[in-house]
Amino acid sequence: MSRLAATPGERIDRSRPLGFSFDGKPVTGYEGDTIVSALYADGRRVFSRSFKYHRPRGELCGCGQCANSLVDVDGSPGVRACGEPARAGMTVTHLNAWPSLEHDVMSATDRFGGRFTQVGFYYKTFIRPRRLWPVYEKVLRRAAGLGRLRERQDEREWETEYRRRHCDVLVIGGGVAGLAAAVRAAELGADVVLCDEDVEPGGALLFEGGQERARELADQARAAGVEVLTRAAAIGTFDDLVPVVQGSVLHQVRAARTIVAAGAIQQPLVFGDNDLPGIMLSGGARRLGALYGVAPGKAAVVATVDDRGLDDALALVAMGVEVRAVADLRPEVPGGPAARLREAGVEVLGGLTPVRGHGRRALEAVTVARPRGGGERRIDCDLLAVSAGAAPALSLALQGGARAAYDGARAAFRLTDLPAGMFAAGAAAGFDDRESAERSGLLAGAEAAASLGRHHPRLREEQVRLGGERPEPLVATPPAWAGEGGKAFVDLDEDVTVKDVKQAVAEGFESLELSKRYTTVTMGPSQGRFSQLPSARLIAAETGLDLETVGLTTARPPWTSVPLGVLAGRPFEAAKRSPVHARHRELGASVRWAGDWMRAYDYGDAEAETRAVHEAAGIIDVSTLGKLIVRGPEAGELLDRLYPNRISNLAPGRIRYGVLLTDAARITDDGTICRLDEETFYVTTTSSGAGAVEQWFTWWLADWGLDATVTDVTQGLAAINVAGPRVREVLARVTDLDVGKEAFPYLDAKQAKVGGVECLLLRIGFVGELGYEIHCAGAHGQALWDALADAGAELGVRPFGLEPQRVLRLEKQHIIVGQDTDSESTPYVAAMPWIVKLDKEQEFIGRWALEQRRGEAPPLELVGFRCADGKVPAEGSVVLGDDGTPAGEVTSARFSAKVDAVIGMARVPNELAADGARISISDGGQRIEAVVTKEPFFDPEGEVLRG
Amino acid sequence: MSAGFLTVAAGGPPARSPLAEGSHRGAELEERDGWMVVASYGDAEGESRARREAVGWADLSHLPKAELSGAGTWIGSPAEGLATPRGDGWSCPLTPRRALLVGDTGAPPEGATLDLTSSLGAISIVGPEARETIARFCALDTRAAVMPPFGFRPGSIARTPGYLLRAGEEAFLLIFGAAYGAYMWEVVADAGSRLGGRPVGAAALTPALPAPRQEVTTDA
Repeated sequence: MSRLAATPGERIDRSRPLGFSFDGKPVTGYEGDTIVSALYADGRRVFSRSFKYHRPRGELCGCGQCANSLVDVDGSPGVRACGEPARAGMTVTHLNAWPSLEHDVMSATDRFGGRFTQVGFYYKTFIRPRRLWPVYEKVLRRAAGLGRLRERQDEREWETEYRRRHCDVLVIGGGVAGLAAAVRAAELGADVVLCDEDVEPGGALLFEGGQERARELADQARAAGVEVLTRAAAIGTFDDLVPVVQGSVLHQVRAARTIVAAGAIQQPLVFGDNDLPGIMLSGGARRLGALYGVAPGKAAVVATVDDRGLDDALALVAMGVEVRAVADLRPEVPGGPAARLREAGVEVLGGLTPVRGHGRRALEAVTVARPRGGGERRIDCDLLAVSAGAAPALSLALQGGARAAYDGARAAFRLTDLPAGMFAAGAAAGFDDRESAERSGLLAGAEAAASLGRHHPRLREEQVRLGGERPEPLVATPPAWAGEGGKAFVDLDEDVTVKDVKQAVAEGFESLELSKRYTTVTMGPSQGRFSQLPSARLIAAETGLDLETVGLTTARPPWTSVPLGVLAGRPFEAAKRSPVHARHRELGASVRWAGDWMRAYDYGDAEAETRAVHEAAGIIDVSTLGKLIVRGPEAGELLDRLYPNRISNLAPGRIRYGVLLTDAARITDDGTICRLDEETFYVTTTSSGAGAVEQWFTWWLADWGLDATVTDVTQGLAAINVAGPRVREVLARVTDLDVGKEAFPYLDAKQAKVGGVECLLLRIGFVGELGYEIHCAGAHGQALWDALADAGAELGVRPFGLEPQRVLRLEKQHIIVGQDTDSESTPYVAAMPWIVKLDKEQEFIGRWALEQRRGEAPPLELVGFRCADGKVPAEGSVVLGDDGTPAGEVTSARFSAKVDAVIGMARVPNELAADGARISISDGGQRIEAVVTKEPFFDPEGEVLRG
Repeated sequence: MSAGFLTVAAGGPPARSPLAEGSHRGAELEERDGWMVVASYGDAEGESRARREAVGWADLSHLPKAELSGAGTWIGSPAEGLATPRGDGWSCPLTPRRALLVGDTGAPPEGATLDLTSSLGAISIVGPEARETIARFCALDTRAAVMPPFGFRPGSIARTPGYLLRAGEEAFLLIFGAAYGAYMWEVVADAGSRLGGRPVGAAALTPALPAPRQEVTTDA
């Protein structure tokens, strides 16, 4: 393990070695290392192969932002090795190479791919013949991708936590500007959160000799109450929400103000073979040495367009790297750092830039020359540290509504307009050097706090002062590309070359957005951090447009790639359960989703359950029914206006069936209305319709201004339907109430104790048999169920689930709204014209539309049918008209043992809606013949139900 | 007839919390006012420590809850977002003409009430990590400056409609649809246990959930 001498700011703890494996071989690093720094110290320079050409790739950024060092860690692909801390025992493997990182079969695409790898090849080739696409797809899917997810996963890999955090000020970025902003805002009394992607805040200070200041500012921030989130990336801005991913925690930060201090991203240079391992950003090289004690190379050339590269060259010299030359694109290299370099014996070459990297598996030499040719020099080296200027990290600000413009002086885009509530500091605001960045942070913090009413006494003074000190940087604009020969990559993530972009432009994809979609430039894991500016520059060069016109692609989340598992949240589903749910489980019910409820589908034998209802009695939990209490002096008036039949004349203790209609008279829900007393009605709805009905009632109530209130008590009441020929025997064992025919007739309601529980009994019957629906406080639901089940045990009573209920109600031709009705079903279509009372004095919802159709035969009508040959048509099967074309639809169908036939309901053309009419049903090509039966299959006269 | 069937009647079988599937597991139960209530989970000292040092959560679904509608001084102003102490409970304004009464408020002088005790489940969350626990499943802003003690907010609780009442500095009451009881218990337990908390019985809870009559200072 080769390391530089220890330095004060380094991040590694040399007293704590750790071991892990890379491609099966042991590697030793230190606590504090990244995977890449440990591998570098171990002498490795290649960590993965590139996406398309399978070229060996080494480190680029040194800070977890590039996609050059994607590896698989413990079975999770796509991990950025240069940002991922090394952990003892971890298993790291390369990606995208087979059979090994050194010898990759697919690297043939680099040498022999030729026309098969040019941009647009897939689009143009694999669209025909269309029938071969499944084959193409299989092959392409195998060849594509960056690693493989495990095919089987027994447990959730991500123990994700969501954490909502409200604050006054969110500071994105923990560099000097961000820290200063956070400190200032917090000291002025704001509640501040700061997030930073690195393991500790400080940004460039940490490796540029400012670590003491960084730690001082971080301490100040914490002392002022700032919540500092490290290794925490803001991945997007969504209106008032900024999601910040920190390990497996997703902080959903809602801040009143946001300060963007995300710093700047050093840019690469574009020239032939600019991807050779050994070519990296000068800042990355410097990080490796300063933070991890690793020499990024032995013999280096530094290529730069700004002073940052010169500073980095000096740092490399200081760490003992032999810097053989500095190629500065600026013809006149400014004094300062250049002079110091020369004093250190480094040759500084003005006006030159790299035009070609040399080397087979890694960098061996670089040729520098003037961008337009001439002055060529080849210099042997194993490290080329490049600095093509710094692009402020604007994506998050732009996602939040900021605007940017090209700044020729900086050779980069900069923010011009910020949305209300957003502030910028540091490089994002155009303050590049350390001192002015810190002052801009202090000012942004003060301005954000002031906008929240927490004023800083010298705010105006600081604004004036900072406004006058924005220094113009001395930056040369890098060429769109330089040199000839080799592959010159504009986008290392996606292996997009200069040639690709040129071809895209030549084919008409002249806008950056179109070119992006055609070539995939900027679409890789680094989200265009290192490719957006170079590709814009290249398109500008090819089209002759200026960079302001070319612009940037639309900024979209996620700014930092994030595992889907983090977004998935905790594995809980918001299920509604009836008060009797636990008992159903104990009884072995098959529980399924029904809307947002978990319901008992059956208890193992749906047919026996159906039979029990007909032969003895059954109990079913119908607690899921919607239930509303409508009360007040004008409650009856309200219901009269909502239902097409009369409600206000209902006597206390009586029940009426009702349907709810839209303005166009389409059925939206149905249920019963029971009058409890003069001013109180108890309304039931379908299970899935409760919420919508409550909203519907409340909305109209507000509009009409009637003196009534509507309260949803769906979840507060248990409801159990007990039905069957022996139901009265059952009830006699658990209640003193006389439930006989005379004392308790059909459609009556009574309150009484059942099994000791105060209940409301409704004499109604959805399943067709003699039945009572018993409602009680949910807290007594299980006790009521138990009482009924115990009382009925000797009588052959058994619980029945949803499936038997569906058969039973079909025998009676009772409709289920939403299943037997659709968005066009009026009461006339649903064969219930009797419910429409057009002679009612009140206006009611749907009246006008019903009046338009009064006396008309509806084009379709809901009828029952019986199948001749025992086949059960699928719900949704087509009813054919006389000419064999689709004319109607099967809405429900089941086999009924009671009827001893397949029965169902269907909407059929009016001319077929007659008893005995024959209909043909087409079910997936199968023809089923059926006979229309308009009367219920069971108890057509209603004698049982009313008995 | 009246809507009396909504109410848990005295003398009937003990009422069962809608959270019982979760909250009664491993619990020592006792009957209070007709309800089976969790007295403890067998470690009263550990439960007290949890709510003092981290977070404890308790099933308080038996707390009386009612809707008050109509005009009247008890309704309060929903714009202020504050519950008003009434007796041993709170009147929590929902709209200018409706309030949710929580706890033993006594009978309001005017307006009509409807018993919602069975309709709404309730979980008390107490302790220094109470806010952090709530932040794991609820986006309501619980900072003291925004929601001081007695603050009351309707909102989304773990993706379901509900209410949040701040009963004290470190004491909150979640109120939600009873049918979500088992789900809500699971969600709260998941969030709280990651923060070092545990479910607690009524015994451990009592000192942490201040009676509304008590003076409560805000940390705003």
